[in-house]
Amino acid sequence: MKVQPILRLKNISKAFGSFQAVKDINLEIFEGEFFTIVGPSGSGKSTLIRLLVGMDDLTSGEIYLRGNRIDRTPANLRPTCMVFQSLALFPHMSVGQNIEFPLKLKKMAPNDRKQKSLELLDLLRLPKSFYEKRISQCSGGEKQRVALARALAFDPEILFFDEPLSALDYRLRKTLEKELKNLHLRTGKTFVYITHSLEEAMVMSDRIAIMRGGEFEQISVSDDIYERPVSRFVAEFMGEVNLFEVSGTKKLGLKSENPNFHINCDPSKAKLGLADGIGGVLVVRPECLRFLTNSESADFVLTGKLKAEYALGSRTQYEIETASQNIITVEKLREDRFMGKEGSKVTLGFDAESAHIIEEL
Amino acid sequence: MNSSKSTQIILFIYGLLVIVFLYLPLISVGFASISKARYLTFPIKRYSTKWYMKAMESETVYAIITTSLKVAVIVTVISMIVAFFGALAFARYNWRYRGFFQKLILLPIFFPQTVLGLALLMWFNSIGIIPTWKTAIVAHLVWIAPIATLIVAIRAYSFDPSLEEAARDMGASTTTVLKEITLPLLMPGIISAGLFAFLLSWGNFPLSLFTTGADSTLPEWLYAKMVSGYSPLVPTLGILSVASSFLLVLVCIALISFYRSIQNKIN
Repeated sequence: MKVQPILRLKNISKAFGSFQAVKDINLEIFEGEFFTIVGPSGSGKSTLIRLLVGMDDLTSGEIYLRGNRIDRTPANLRPTCMVFQSLALFPHMSVGQNIEFPLKLKKMAPNDRKQKSLELLDLLRLPKSFYEKRISQCSGGEKQRVALARALAFDPEILFFDEPLSALDYRLRKTLEKELKNLHLRTGKTFVYITHSLEEAMVMSDRIAIMRGGEFEQISVSDDIYERPVSRFVAEFMGEVNLFEVSGTKKLGLKSENPNFHINCDPSKAKLGLADGIGGVLVVRPECLRFLTNSESADFVLTGKLKAEYALGSRTQYEIETASQNIITVEKLREDRFMGKEGSKVTLGFDAESAHIIEEL
Repeated sequence: MNSSKSTQIILFIYGLLVIVFLYLPLISVGFASISKARYLTFPIKRYSTKWYMKAMESETVYAIITTSLKVAVIVTVISMIVAFFGALAFARYNWRYRGFFQKLILLPIFFPQTVLGLALLMWFNSIGIIPTWKTAIVAHLVWIAPIATLIVAIRAYSFDPSLEEAARDMGASTTTVLKEITLPLLMPGIISAGLFAFLLSWGNFPLSLFTTGADSTLPEWLYAKMVSGYSPLVPTLGILSVASSFLLVLVCIALISFYRSIQNKIN
């Protein structure tokens, strides 16, 4: 039996004048999934989520919630709810009144409302005393939790998030990312989250969609997106990456025009072969490169000069400049730090298993 | 920052000048109103509250204050309603002629009021309306409603539109959003707009002069009496007018703080 998706987007598009913000998107999201849409600003992700919650109208296409078409249903009649980037907590109401707002609209009795909102405070690890607090008395992280409690009070079929963590400082963001994932597990609800940070997406999500120019570039689980990006854009979107231009040949499988980049591996071993005449890029993450001593070798070897070294805390990052002025980024755990002088000649290597190839015509 | 001795002296003189020019004339009017003599002389020889008693008893004064009050109250109420919806249109919704509307609304403020009053009088005449205190309401509104709209619009600009969207997203209908979110958040702005509307109408002279016809508002009457037939009833009514304005300001401040305390009160 085929599982029916909780949300199905069929050929949805949104145009503002002559600008196509969302281009003919198809997507299926399943019950209980934590689905994240990632993209840089201007990629259309905010427009897309506004279409999904009913804040804007589609130009064309259809949206189905559990098989029922909802794209003509106004936002206030859709059983979905969104946590806004600004959180949109009502400043003229207390924390309790904010959480009870959707319950009041559903005509729940005052006592039940209070009961429910105290339960939600508890679920979000806020003390009961918060019930009477004013919004302006809450810290950034507390506001975040109140906004979540209010959205959960609505009991939506799908809970949408529009970059709610983007305004917080790094440490708090990291804590809340984990809490959000935990909350997802505990509530079993379907979460649809948008963010510009792939790192944030990877921590929380079951599946990730990378959006660019109003379209999805890749939809997959996070490991896949990290290790096997389908395009240069996706590869570069996730922070540091090294890209090497290669082309396919009949005999060797791969060849490089770069004189400092040597391909030693057997194409059959590599599984990285390209068909003859086809170009591509080899994608290698910084942590997959290693410094080679004279006696060592690897499937792919390159040489360069150590240009800079940056301490990142648990890791150390190195920049190596090749003769053709390309900058290669390498990362090592702090305990495996490379002791080399800046400006000294180094040899780097990586193996076929840790590389991925993207075909480009 | 340390201010030098000379800066302090300059600031002190400046402050003193502000007080002298703003409040001393008012105080002298106050003195004039409690003089027993019919004509103003300084120093006042004998004090009396008789002009206040006269003002209380006078039917003319009663009629004048009633007219002024009627005009001001109606102008205030209409301005507040127009300002609320106008400000929403001004600040919230994107529509084709919004930019034009925003500029149009500012224009009457730049008109000299005498010109505006004259224009309205001519217009009333040409369409056959006899000017009374009712036409003065229209004239006052032409000038005051835009100001009130601007005051509310500033408030409307300062709050996040996603608050309304969030309420809607959680199931609130358009009227519920207006009642539960928009109106409470704009309320301090609406109260200030109402206060301004009342005070501007209550104290308005040029527009009233042209458009009240046979009726007379308080500022008009004060002016007429100054021109001919001065008695200390003039400064007395002047003081009463200032006092009532001041009282109204206090009431509004109290109203806003009461409103805030209700909002803070839990359920």
